[in-house]
Amino acid sequence: MELLDRYLQAVRKHLPWKRQDDILAELRANLESQLEEREAELGRPLNQKEAEEWVKGLGNPLLMASKYQPVQYLIGPVLFPMYWYVLRMAFVWATIIYGMVAVIVIPLVSQHPENMVEAIFRWPSVLFTAATWVTLIFAVLEVIARTRPGMIPQLDAVTLDWKPSGLPPLEKAPAIGGKPQSYARAVAEVVFGFIFLAWLLLFPKHPFLMFGPGVYYLSASPFGLTPVWWHFYFFIVAMNVVQLTWQCIDLVRGSWQSGRTLQHVASKIFGLIAVGLLVSAPGQILVTLRDPAVNGAKYGAMATQINKSLHLGLMVVMAIFLIQLIWDLAQLGMYAYRKRAVAGITQ
Amino acid sequence: MGYSMTVAENLFENLKLELRRGGLTLAVLGQLRHEHYGYTLRKALAEQGLEIDESTLYPLLRRLETQGLLASEWREEDKRNKRFYRLSADGERMLAQLLQEWNELNQSITNILS
Repeated sequence: MELLDRYLQAVRKHLPWKRQDDILAELRANLESQLEEREAELGRPLNQKEAEEWVKGLGNPLLMASKYQPVQYLIGPVLFPMYWYVLRMAFVWATIIYGMVAVIVIPLVSQHPENMVEAIFRWPSVLFTAATWVTLIFAVLEVIARTRPGMIPQLDAVTLDWKPSGLPPLEKAPAIGGKPQSYARAVAEVVFGFIFLAWLLLFPKHPFLMFGPGVYYLSASPFGLTPVWWHFYFFIVAMNVVQLTWQCIDLVRGSWQSGRTLQHVASKIFGLIAVGLLVSAPGQILVTLRDPAVNGAKYGAMATQINKSLHLGLMVVMAIFLIQLIWDLAQLGMYAYRKRAVAGITQ
Repeated sequence: MGYSMTVAENLFENLKLELRRGGLTLAVLGQLRHEHYGYTLRKALAEQGLEIDESTLYPLLRRLETQGLLASEWREEDKRNKRFYRLSADGERMLAQLLQEWNELNQSITNILS
């Protein structure tokens, strides 16, 4: 039957080449016996439609051939959990290192903001490279574990030679949204919050409160601060007022014990905005000369250098805040997911 | 609704496949206490209520032979060369062990469900 020949030909193309002839001869003998019996029952050869139905019933040639292939893993079930863990760690570290390098190196070599945008677009390729290397290394480890058991004892230790006493200690509950705090601590936070706010409101008129005796040196200094610092200052004051109000409401409502998840994340976001205000200062100028006509020649270059250093430092701080925020959000997501999963189990 | 039905059906098919996998091996080993070639083995199993696809049974025979549980030989029958399989000595020992496991598992499940 031509249709059967075509089917077997299609199967052959996907069989292991060393055993193709043997497998195909056996398959042909089995299928021809089946066909003969069917035709003997009907008392005639199958017509085209019946033949097509019968061959279709044998299954896709690709599927038939694939069943003859040995089970193959790039990374098997024993190593996979470790691979997955390492891959996630590689993503996190690649992002942190790449982020730090991008934030520090790019402002040093270029003043064009588009280079920063380019760096962001290059980030997926960094992750892809990290994933490729991790996958490649684990694929090699899988081959070694399968073909040469005992060659790397640590691989065998994953499955057989492990000690319960070697398990890591119990992890603490996540800091954010986790441990309830005491009433005394909540009250102390509010009291110190008010003291800090009072200090914050007083020091512009009484800089001695911040700088101590150093204020006399500062007043004699040729450098002054640009108005953007006032924006920064008012933002910090507003942030503290919001935080203090929030804490007071918690105390009044008796909800000081509940997790401070949202407050933690909100304070990180406010911090990011505050630093962002300084980073986006016009012309990246944070320090200026009080009297450029008099001191310009002597201190102009120094002021430029101070501004560059401050801007760079603030970029680093901003990057750290951003990474912390992403980390907190990820932790928060994980915490919520686990909570939902536990709720699902106990229901 | 249609989507969830499809998911449920797929899940059932996957679980059924897992449940049958070990049972099929046991059935094939048991049936090959008497010599068969692929097609007559499939028919013999079907007559006893166990239908197996060609794409499952024939590769399974090869795998069991590679594992040393079956022995095979090419022989001519009805003017056609066929590969006949039977249980090897290792296969007999394995069948006995697997049968014991099967019976214990069956008994446990019966107890749990009763």
